[in-house]
Amino acid sequence: MSEKQTVLIIEDDRAISNFISRALTANDYRVIPAFTGKEGLSLFFSHGPDLVLLDLGLPDMDGLEILIQLRDLPREAPVIIISARDRESEKVRALDMGADDYVVKPFGVSELLARIRSTLRRAERLKLSQGIQRDVYQIKDLTIDLSRHQVTLAGQEVHFTQNEFKILELLALYAGKVLTYDFILEHIWGPYGGSGSNQILRVNMANIRRKLKENPSEPKYIHTELGIGYRMLDD
Amino acid sequence: MLQCLKNLYHWLDVQGHHVPPLPRNLGITALFLCAAYWASSILIGHTGGENNSALVFVLAVALISLLTSGYRYGIIASVVGTFCINIFFMEPYNAFSLSRTGYPVSMVSMVVISCVICALTARVKKQALEAAQREKQTRALYETNEKLNEEKAAIQLESDRISIRESILRAVSHDLRTPLTSISGTVSVLLSSPEVPEKNLSMLMDIKQDADSLIVMVENLLSVTRIQDGTLPLKKREEMLEEVAGDALLTTRRRFPDCHASLELSEDILYLPMDSILIKQVMVNLLENAIRHSGDTSHIQMRLYRRDNWAVTEVRDHGRGLSPEVIQAVKAGEAMPLSGDATRGMGIGLSVCQSIIKAHGGWFTASNHPEGGALFSFALPAGGEL
Repeated sequence: MSEKQTVLIIEDDRAISNFISRALTANDYRVIPAFTGKEGLSLFFSHGPDLVLLDLGLPDMDGLEILIQLRDLPREAPVIIISARDRESEKVRALDMGADDYVVKPFGVSELLARIRSTLRRAERLKLSQGIQRDVYQIKDLTIDLSRHQVTLAGQEVHFTQNEFKILELLALYAGKVLTYDFILEHIWGPYGGSGSNQILRVNMANIRRKLKENPSEPKYIHTELGIGYRMLDD
Repeated sequence: MLQCLKNLYHWLDVQGHHVPPLPRNLGITALFLCAAYWASSILIGHTGGENNSALVFVLAVALISLLTSGYRYGIIASVVGTFCINIFFMEPYNAFSLSRTGYPVSMVSMVVISCVICALTARVKKQALEAAQREKQTRALYETNEKLNEEKAAIQLESDRISIRESILRAVSHDLRTPLTSISGTVSVLLSSPEVPEKNLSMLMDIKQDADSLIVMVENLLSVTRIQDGTLPLKKREEMLEEVAGDALLTTRRRFPDCHASLELSEDILYLPMDSILIKQVMVNLLENAIRHSGDTSHIQMRLYRRDNWAVTEVRDHGRGLSPEVIQAVKAGEAMPLSGDATRGMGIGLSVCQSIIKAHGGWFTASNHPEGGALFSFALPAGGEL
């Protein structure tokens, strides 16, 4: 790709904004810093960035409000949330409202860069495959064949229950994106299916992990977002 | 005279309390009757036929009823006194007689007067007693009230202090996090930049490491304030223990890329209520403790398993093991002995672990593995099988 990708940083703390800018510039991104919500929105209009880093704790506007406004615009860009640690519910709400990913303060540079890369890649893939339904998902040694309803791990077929397969399919469809418990529950069990408890999802996931021989401390395929949901790894 | 009687009364009252009531009352009655008899015998020698013995006996009856309990002894004394006067101090002497005009009337009136005096005295005594009791109760009430007020003030002060301390700590933790994030982040940017000369790299590494351990310290302080004050309830939710453990290991590995730590899962699915952020912190603390203090970072094992109704997590290293002081301190639930730089941060870390596990109703132990190395384990109540 010849053209540099543009990242809009909406973050009121200048020190944090600065080091993110430095890290991104060093990694060949173009950076636009905004220090308030209003500034962020107007810079979004004028620059049309490829990705937005959004701090939820801004002085002038609610971060979620900005997210809604960004989502209503015709031009779309993936949003990564920067959140404080004690605002977990806000984080989940932001993800359910369409944010693509999140990082929690204090976060490391490499972590942030990995999230940005993964989100941009997914957005790119989405653009290319617009309207085309894929039948086969290939992630490392794992192959999910939707038409044949078959999963193979390093050439060996692995048997999954109906619901386990549906969860895998959903994760693969959104590979790279964090899917919240509620999102998965609603897609697999319907709007009322998983209401009240997400135990059923968590147990299914534990079984999937055992069948894929996944150790949650060395995830190859499914990454756990503690207290939030799951993400299929795509790199 | 009055003073004398008063003193006598007090003396008798004080002395009388050492003697049981029946002999005491009888003694007083006998004493005063004898005194009245003695006084009247003296008086009759001086005044002859028209004597004042009746008045003397009435005085004795009054004193008796004052000094004895109830009015029974007073009445007995008045009857005895009346007969005494009739027999010894009225003509014919030394014989009982109602033959003279007025004798029956004066005897009856004396008994009646004595009885009235007895009744009045008894009532006064009763009222005095009640008044004394009321005063005692009032004083007790007042004292209790005073004590309650003091306690209330103390509690208010304590809760104020706790909430102030907590809000300060929370503000401090929050305000520390942001600059620490930017310090650590800025240094990471510098570390990866080609412009930094080789000789400065190690200094930058030191800054990064210190900033990172300060971040952990701040998180620990925040948790321990929350837990130990007991002011904030745990945010418990059903959570998969292996996912928390996996996340803890990933976090630890990010901070210490050179360490080798493995996670051994249990076959059972351990899904139990916990405050996952705090439990993750316990695991991270134990892993970090093993990495920093065991002297061997290459064989750290974390193991999850179910034992009866407990979900147990073990963190084991193959390092130099724990000193008896540390094991003892964990057992007693005390603060860690801080001995120099080697254990910097260990004390707070382990105390935080213990507080968090205690708040979850679990147990926490530290020991040395028979094959060497330290073994920390903690258990959370897991209920029945899933």
